[in-house]
Amino acid sequence: MTDYTPADMMAVLLAREIRDGDRVFHGLASPLPMVAILLARSTHAPNLVYLNITGAVDPTPSRLPTSTVDPALWEGARSRITLADIFDLNARGEMDLVFFGAAQVDRRGRINLSAIGPWEAPKVRLPGGAGSAAMLPRARRAVVWRARHDRRTLVESVDFVTASGNLDRVITPYAVFERRDGLLTLRSRHPYVSDETVVAETGFALTPPFAVTAAPTAEELEALRRVDPGGVRAVEFGSRNG
Amino acid sequence: MGSKVTSMERAVGAVADGMIVALGGNVLHRSPSAAVREIVRQGRRDLKVIKTAGGYDVDLLAQAGAICAVWAGYVGYENEFGLATHYRRAVERGEVEAREHTCYSVITALRAASYGVPYLPMNGLWGSDLLERRPEDFRVVDDPFGQGPVVAVRAIRPDVAIVHVQKADTEGNCAITGTLFEDVLMVSAARLSIVTAEEVVLAGSLDPESVSIPAVLVSHVVHAPGGARPASCHGYYGIDAEAVRALAAAQTAVGR
Repeated sequence: MTDYTPADMMAVLLAREIRDGDRVFHGLASPLPMVAILLARSTHAPNLVYLNITGAVDPTPSRLPTSTVDPALWEGARSRITLADIFDLNARGEMDLVFFGAAQVDRRGRINLSAIGPWEAPKVRLPGGAGSAAMLPRARRAVVWRARHDRRTLVESVDFVTASGNLDRVITPYAVFERRDGLLTLRSRHPYVSDETVVAETGFALTPPFAVTAAPTAEELEALRRVDPGGVRAVEFGSRNG
Repeated sequence: MGSKVTSMERAVGAVADGMIVALGGNVLHRSPSAAVREIVRQGRRDLKVIKTAGGYDVDLLAQAGAICAVWAGYVGYENEFGLATHYRRAVERGEVEAREHTCYSVITALRAASYGVPYLPMNGLWGSDLLERRPEDFRVVDDPFGQGPVVAVRAIRPDVAIVHVQKADTEGNCAITGTLFEDVLMVSAARLSIVTAEEVVLAGSLDPESVSIPAVLVSHVVHAPGGARPASCHGYYGIDAEAVRALAAAQTAVGR
């Protein structure tokens, strides 16, 4: 039995990717990175610089919104920066870490947020990659997350390359991947899934046995519940209390 | 400067079929929703929309069959409300062309229009399929000064920009609270701009240091309290979740 959910595990893992002092950015539709940044700031990375689409720099929101472009993210902000200025900063190579979601990620670490099926005549037209195609090639590091781990998400080759670049990690409810020599390899699987499940649910070849992800510590879980008491981190899993 | 205050009907009457329309705000925040509803009511067709990240506004225009193309980095509702149903189906049926951008290239295209140049270089898009699949808007060119290849982004000059702000004075000076989004850039890039405002105050009563958009860039001012709903308006109201869900569940217009 575990006393944490996959959403807790993912928020903690995303937070662990942030180094103290990092300039870190999340875009729209990013509840897990929003929670992870606030968690990291309250634990091991008090000097991070928190940037998001609202342009509110280093906010201290007392209520976490489900929309990550919400005016609630203005509470306690130190200054206002425009989104254009944030992109410019990234283009100059001065952004340390960006978080992006993906409908598909492939073995080469390329992401698709554009379309399922042919891009010209899509089976499903997806919302689009937002800032990813501009930011991934120029950010120092990119971490991609997805709140599901299956063969439709982790594929051999994406239907369309919306963005590629300095992707360094992929974090799912089952595992952490790292990109080594241009290819994703499994770094660790989470304590509550088996090697067999991870292999079966991944659309490209993996080589078990795998290392096991360190479970969230009591301190991490306590801090997580303090920064996100309403459970916004579970929104991407289709619930508020998951 | 004289008063630019007019009715929503007259201001939106400046939008003609086939025009390029820039919409302010982002996803479900400070969108010019009331003006978009008036565009639909006036029966406009074949509009082309430009916006970094659209939501209710673009979906409503798609539902009404008012648009034929969208330049955007994102069109959707974020996690809680899912995909923009009407926009998505219109693209899948081939009725609306998704002229996919990344948000930064939308900004670059608007900057080019604002600077009065045909294109601007941008550092990004490397390794994206958009570079080769969207030659109408993106080309890799040689830097004439010898620093290697750069991505050229074609200018997009909106015929009309429509933004919703918290406060405007009667001459069109706008005080935006909270996030500016791309509103200031859109207004300077567009040939004509319409501001809808929660509050319209007397000219001279705004602190000039609080003015985000100067009146010299504004053509029409409309008093439209609640004009962003069901999107949020910082300092006034939050997202109306029920109204967003209602649009997602509604039928798309047929027979266009």
